[in-house]
Amino acid sequence: MANLKEIRNRITSVASTMQITSAMKMVSAAKLKKAQDGITQMRPYSEKLQEILSNLTSSLDMSENQYSQNREVKNVLIVAVTSNRGLCGAFNNNIIKSTNQYIKDNPGEKVQVIGLGKKAQDAYKRTDFYHTDYSEDLTKVYDDIKFENIEDFGEYLMESYKEAKFDKILVFYNRFKNAATQIVMNEQFLPVEQAESEEKTTTADYIFEPSKEEIVDELIPKSLKTQLYKAVLDSWASEHGARMTAMHKATDNADALKKELTLSYNKARQAAITNEILEIVGGAEALNN
Amino acid sequence: MVIEIITPDNLLYKGHIDSITLPGVDGSFGMWDNHAPIISALTKGKVKIKQASSKNSSYDEFSGDFLADIAKDESFEFDINGGVVEVQNNKVTLLAN
Repeated sequence: MANLKEIRNRITSVASTMQITSAMKMVSAAKLKKAQDGITQMRPYSEKLQEILSNLTSSLDMSENQYSQNREVKNVLIVAVTSNRGLCGAFNNNIIKSTNQYIKDNPGEKVQVIGLGKKAQDAYKRTDFYHTDYSEDLTKVYDDIKFENIEDFGEYLMESYKEAKFDKILVFYNRFKNAATQIVMNEQFLPVEQAESEEKTTTADYIFEPSKEEIVDELIPKSLKTQLYKAVLDSWASEHGARMTAMHKATDNADALKKELTLSYNKARQAAITNEILEIVGGAEALNN
Repeated sequence: MVIEIITPDNLLYKGHIDSITLPGVDGSFGMWDNHAPIISALTKGKVKIKQASSKNSSYDEFSGDFLADIAKDESFEFDINGGVVEVQNNKVTLLAN
């Protein structure tokens, strides 16, 4: 049986780890609430924008639009949205895994990866796939998640699509379902897929100012940026959900380990006491004789 | 008429107004009650709003302080970087950036 001091040290270390994991869980729970609020607050904007856009595009031929040209796919850019920090279970791994899967499944395409978040950047920095042309630091997005902070990146993506640097741009991110579940999404960012308007939107006789086409040209970049922003918000919420779950499990495991160690500590202590009594009794016996 | 000003980050303002002036792409334009349905792209510029004097019921759901700030006076104005406006049945929806 291990000696007493050794077990005592391990109990202390497990207890302090437990403190850290449970604190991280609390922090993530609080941040998760905020991140969820962000999603709910953005929803009216994106819904309204989508409504107006589908209202407009249903009567327009979109194949001419500069954002919806289906070129032959040779160069692909993947935007991998991950977190800056670890300790959140398989959250980042899932994104990296599905990115690698895509690269494996499409050997005919020249794929480049840009990481929105430190973990994806770390994973691809040393590979040939890493896209280096974008100079801004994308990890800073998470310091202060605001629409303005994502706009420049969105514009960069649109620009490189227009210049035909890439024929297809995909966004890989974790969609937030609930605190315990994230769904890895592979969304096509560009070219824009024309939404099929199932429901006939009641088009009142709108005045369009300027022309319909010009409004659509204004709106599509906006809706693309909104899509990107939504991906970031979703990923942010998912990250905290994932971390919360991971830390909850870690706390539970630490608790179980601590119980086990305490048990063996007490057994060892008892054995030591019994030993001591035996020695004393033995010594007294010897004196009596 | 009723107005809703929505940005990607929050709902900025919601309330009854008398008139609104918007920075359209082809020049600034104003609107009063019973305007015909319109969808228009906006550019960088100032939005001026005159609140309905009788019913200043500008309630807020999210960003309480900012709302109170801009809606202090009967008429107020603020800057946008662009956006879209939709008007239908005396309901103005302003998607601002």
